[in-house]
Amino acid sequence: MEMKLVHLYPDVMSLYGEYANIAVLRRCLEGLGADVTVEEIGFEDSTDFAFADFIYMGAGTERAQKYALEKLTAQADDLKAAIGRGVPVLFTGNAMELLGKSVTDAKGKVWPCLGLADYATVETDKRDPVDVVAHSPLLERPAVGFMNKCSVTSGVEKPLFDRLSLGFGNEAKGGPEGYAEGSVLATHLTGPVLVKNPELLALAVKRIFALKGREAPEVVPALPHQGEAYEVTLAELSARAKG
Amino acid sequence: MRKWLAILACKVLRFVGGLIGRGSSLPGQIALRLCPDVLGRLELPPYVIAVTGSNGKTSTVEMIASILTAAGKRVIYNKEGSNQIEGVTTLLLTNASMGGKVRGDVLLLESDERYAKYTFKWFHPTHFVITNLYRDQLTRNGHPEWVYAAIEPALHPDTTLVLNADDPLVSRFAVGRDPARVKWFGLDECSVSTKEHRGMYHDGLRCPVCFGRMEYSCYHYAHIGHYRCTQCGYERHAADFTATAVDLDKGVLTIGGKTEIKLAFKSIYNVYNILAAWSACSLAGVDENTMAGVISNYILKNGRMVTFTLGERRGTLLTSKHENSVAYDTNLGYIRSQKEDCVVMVIVDAISRKYFTGETSWLWDIDFDLLDAPHIKEIVLCGKYANDLALRFDFTSVDPAKVKVRSTVQEGVDLLLGEGNAPPQYVVTCFSDRDKLLAHAKKD
Repeated sequence: MEMKLVHLYPDVMSLYGEYANIAVLRRCLEGLGADVTVEEIGFEDSTDFAFADFIYMGAGTERAQKYALEKLTAQADDLKAAIGRGVPVLFTGNAMELLGKSVTDAKGKVWPCLGLADYATVETDKRDPVDVVAHSPLLERPAVGFMNKCSVTSGVEKPLFDRLSLGFGNEAKGGPEGYAEGSVLATHLTGPVLVKNPELLALAVKRIFALKGREAPEVVPALPHQGEAYEVTLAELSARAKG
Repeated sequence: MRKWLAILACKVLRFVGGLIGRGSSLPGQIALRLCPDVLGRLELPPYVIAVTGSNGKTSTVEMIASILTAAGKRVIYNKEGSNQIEGVTTLLLTNASMGGKVRGDVLLLESDERYAKYTFKWFHPTHFVITNLYRDQLTRNGHPEWVYAAIEPALHPDTTLVLNADDPLVSRFAVGRDPARVKWFGLDECSVSTKEHRGMYHDGLRCPVCFGRMEYSCYHYAHIGHYRCTQCGYERHAADFTATAVDLDKGVLTIGGKTEIKLAFKSIYNVYNILAAWSACSLAGVDENTMAGVISNYILKNGRMVTFTLGERRGTLLTSKHENSVAYDTNLGYIRSQKEDCVVMVIVDAISRKYFTGETSWLWDIDFDLLDAPHIKEIVLCGKYANDLALRFDFTSVDPAKVKVRSTVQEGVDLLLGEGNAPPQYVVTCFSDRDKLLAHAKKD
């Protein structure tokens, strides 16, 4: 069973080891018998989403994000078509903002975005790096991670996480975070979110299997050490959340 | 009157604080409350040298202080590393006359890159040394461009910038400035240079000015090297202070094609710290012989490299900053360059000693493949985040049979003690975790 993972602009949208998301996903899928290819789309490349089975973009600097937007806008129709046929999509960090209607930068310039979702983002001159514990109806246990954003995203009707017991949501501390609609998952969580969260990794795996018309195992096994690492981080962050 | 009061209060509080072992921020904090513009009302020494950047600030400042002192200059500097405005205020007022004249020939300041604009609101340095900008403590700093934007407002047009020509992001500070107010230091293509980039990420791929594609004729490490933008032509500036050759095996650095310097620590990092110090001291009027003499006999004082004995085993602790992959890569590269069989221990227990975070993304930015070398016989991963480390190692070329995982530092230490008089070990960890190991060891 062949599977193709597309990683968008890892050369410019990669601030926090995001490549690891694709690396663990690949390892996990291969462990389940899939024949996986990874297509890294450089900033100067274009791609054909027609054969993609998973599309990922990570976080970049505010400047890099605008250049990534320009590139992606040229392929917006292809991306929409892929989403239309149910290809799982994961955008993390400020890549999430590109799926919305617009990003207003710190100087007040409005950058129209892909408009796949109804939210809009306003960048600020203040950065809020925070640890995160996030609760989602899609996951049995909380997700953990880190967020390093300087923006407020408003108008999200379908958040990925209902609430955060630690961290800043789209608009407010503790509030709803991210975006989840159909096959699209987006979150301001930065870095290797699929490394830190075995359940999110399993969710991505199951969605890719579903796209391919195959049944994934009911329990997708975590990678060695992944479950233990998750438990430590969850315990640390939960203790912090309780103050 | 307010100035006088602020100086008096600061001196008294500093004296009392010294007796009871308190830190150096509080006196300055109180003084600033009494007279918020006190820093603008002082008479400063003829040279005010500030040093900032992601890495190497403390080492560079200490080296500059040693050289200037050897050259007979009286140097006022923040030895305790209190580099925010309160600490700087304490330093200045403690060393000022009651009339506000700061004694000394040179005021030397290590400046936190994010807070420089606050410190230099009321006065500005005559020389501002900027060592490098790279991914460092992203949990506080955001990203290097964010840090760039934080430093920029602190740079007064009258200040002479002393910039690392080999760092494209640092060099950008010169754009739009009077070229007479910029001095450059850099390393020629030499034995340490490579044609290919090495590392898990490349922050020099795009031009800091126009986002065009950059080309490198050589790399010294990470994104530090000789670059040129293929789109706008932004390129490495010729250096005023040049390291023309480096032999890391022999530990010899050549500056300006003629002056040879013995390296106390054979690392490319140290080469840049020396270059930065050399440039600043030269601009402050110190002659080459004095500089070369001091640097060649220099002993690293900051405790970043500590030798010890653990049980019967010799060891070297290489302090790296957690959340700083370049610091890690440099130390891992150093271990790789050694020839003797060894064991490597990596400890990640507390991520920071200054603040809480559970963030481990930075582990994926470290080039742990550097530990895939025949003379590295065993790798012990320990501390609270040992599993995160172990998962990271599963994505390297290191033979899994060499890797042992222990969830506490104590268990890691016990493992090594149980091995008896085995090959020497290298320990790589942060200030936050180093004493957890050294508590079990005898320091040399």
